[in-house]
Amino acid sequence: MRSVSRAVGLLVLAVAVLAFPSLAPDPFILSVGVVIMSYAVLATSWNFVGGFTGYISLGHASYSGLGAYATALLVIHTSLNPWVAMLLGGLVVAALAVPIGIASLRVRGASFVIVSIAMVLILLLVFQSWGEFTGGSNGLRVPRPFDESVLRPEQHERFFYLHAALLAVALLAWWAIDRSRFGTGLKAIREDEDKAQSLGVPTFNYKLTAFVISAFFTALGGGLYALWFGFLDPIFQFSILVGSYMVLMSLLGGIRSLFGPLLGAVIVGYAVEFFKNQYGDTQFHLVAMGLLLGLVVLFMPDGIIPALSSLLNRFRPQAASIREVSAGDLAEQRRTASAATSTDDESTDRLSEGAQR
Amino acid sequence: MSLFFQSLVLGVLLGGLYALLAAGLTLYFGVMRVVMIAHSAFLILAAYLAWFFTTETGLDPLLSLVVTVPLFFVTGVLMQRLLISRLRPATLTMMSVLLTFSVALVIEGMLGFVFSGTQRRIRLPYSGDSIDLFGANIAVVKLIAFALAAVSLGALFLILKKTQFGQALRATIQHPDAARLIGINTDRIAGYGFGLGLSTAAIGGTALALDSTIYPSLHWHWIGPLMAIIVVGGLGSIPGAAIAAMLLGLGQSLLQIPLGTTWAQTLFYVALFATLMVRPQGFFGGRLAQRF
Repeated sequence: MRSVSRAVGLLVLAVAVLAFPSLAPDPFILSVGVVIMSYAVLATSWNFVGGFTGYISLGHASYSGLGAYATALLVIHTSLNPWVAMLLGGLVVAALAVPIGIASLRVRGASFVIVSIAMVLILLLVFQSWGEFTGGSNGLRVPRPFDESVLRPEQHERFFYLHAALLAVALLAWWAIDRSRFGTGLKAIREDEDKAQSLGVPTFNYKLTAFVISAFFTALGGGLYALWFGFLDPIFQFSILVGSYMVLMSLLGGIRSLFGPLLGAVIVGYAVEFFKNQYGDTQFHLVAMGLLLGLVVLFMPDGIIPALSSLLNRFRPQAASIREVSAGDLAEQRRTASAATSTDDESTDRLSEGAQR
Repeated sequence: MSLFFQSLVLGVLLGGLYALLAAGLTLYFGVMRVVMIAHSAFLILAAYLAWFFTTETGLDPLLSLVVTVPLFFVTGVLMQRLLISRLRPATLTMMSVLLTFSVALVIEGMLGFVFSGTQRRIRLPYSGDSIDLFGANIAVVKLIAFALAAVSLGALFLILKKTQFGQALRATIQHPDAARLIGINTDRIAGYGFGLGLSTAAIGGTALALDSTIYPSLHWHWIGPLMAIIVVGGLGSIPGAAIAAMLLGLGQSLLQIPLGTTWAQTLFYVALFATLMVRPQGFFGGRLAQRF
């Protein structure tokens, strides 16, 4: 029953994503769709660290920005194929994330956040002042990956599908990790790092691996965005605001669920575009964003998806225990096991009776 | 030589302001294990209030302290009681970062909304004055800012060391459970500790408004160095924060001669990374810093 509804849900989601470009009334809406998809990729990539380990990075914009610049500079200076450049850019950023991760994950919590914010501020300084290489504050123009015959709306459509494909890969990777031993170890770190360590989870290596994977996907997201948008400015690439969007989206949707960041990205991305449209250049979108983040942190730290599913569970038949198997199943298993070994008959019978009662 | 000496003096003056602000950040971390991102946003808010006070009344911005310090103290207590203490203890460190971050965004947005993004500066009759100190030319406003910071830091030190409240506060920082056992109301003390921390932002902001141009997004330029200072000093150690602030302020000022202002800023981040690599608990931090 559950798996059927899950399959239907996935199908609806896939159809909705695939059909969006043909349903969008004009290129502007389509471009908003691309932006939201880009946010979804970034938020899902962020969730490799935030969701699994509970380490909240406010500075993931440094990896998306680095990915964007790495892709752009590779395309400009080496005339590589743009898609190869994007992948290579992701790998470069992943390699850079190793020393950063080693420095910031050595201490728990607070230092990690401080380093993540510091990274964005450093990179902003460096990319603004290192003008001859990065274009400095004037920005950097990125050559388009498709030739001139492909018009704007067509570009938006192609990039929408490319972002959707990247999102699908990231979601698949998240899902695979979620089910693996590695993922279980990461979640153990999130719940109680000391206990995880004493149970033999190699916590530091696990955290570092998750961090590097996250940086890799974030960089790919940044690179793809750079190829679509065609222009990079350090102020917008290395902005704490972008990093905090990723956090807000993931938290709002629910960092423990696969589709949480995607849902959050749709809601927050739409809201951001709406506010920018309505209030233009005023700083009001900062206030709205701050209030929303504060409300989520105070009242819904687990996100929408867990809140909704617990609401749904109220209308489902009450579960008998926290186990996946019911007490009856368990008693049946014990009986067959004891029949096979035919020892301790009396005690298992008593146990199973107790369970059935 | 005189250029070097000038930078040295300016570095000490800057370090004093850093030390005061970092002391506030350390207080929050000590009492609540909270990394208060909004500290520098409150700093800019106080600077704006001082500017607004002076342009409206024509009085000296230092007089605005009479209003802003109590106001910020109460705000700090309320913030701790109404916002921070509501968070779940298990995820407090991470969630408090986000909560204070959202407060910082709201403050920045409101400042931009109310006062617009225009750069502001207080014009004072003594703005241009400077005095000659052993060949170094030091602006009077910088000296006033430093004196303000030094006096407040001294007052903070006296409060923490000599009063009963200070003793209770230090007990709460060192071991909350034990403090509760001997009858200290740690919740109330934590609230006051928060208020005290925010008061440093009020004083720092007024000092800042005296000699620099302010704009709403300025707080991002302050929070990075301040965070680096408290990590280098060792999270939770006020003397550590003050020493690190002095050293880094001095370093920044001296590096400005060969490198220019932008690259000199990176000193803080280099120090931050070096500290985390070599001595993650910070150079002056004790038991507290190890765990966080």
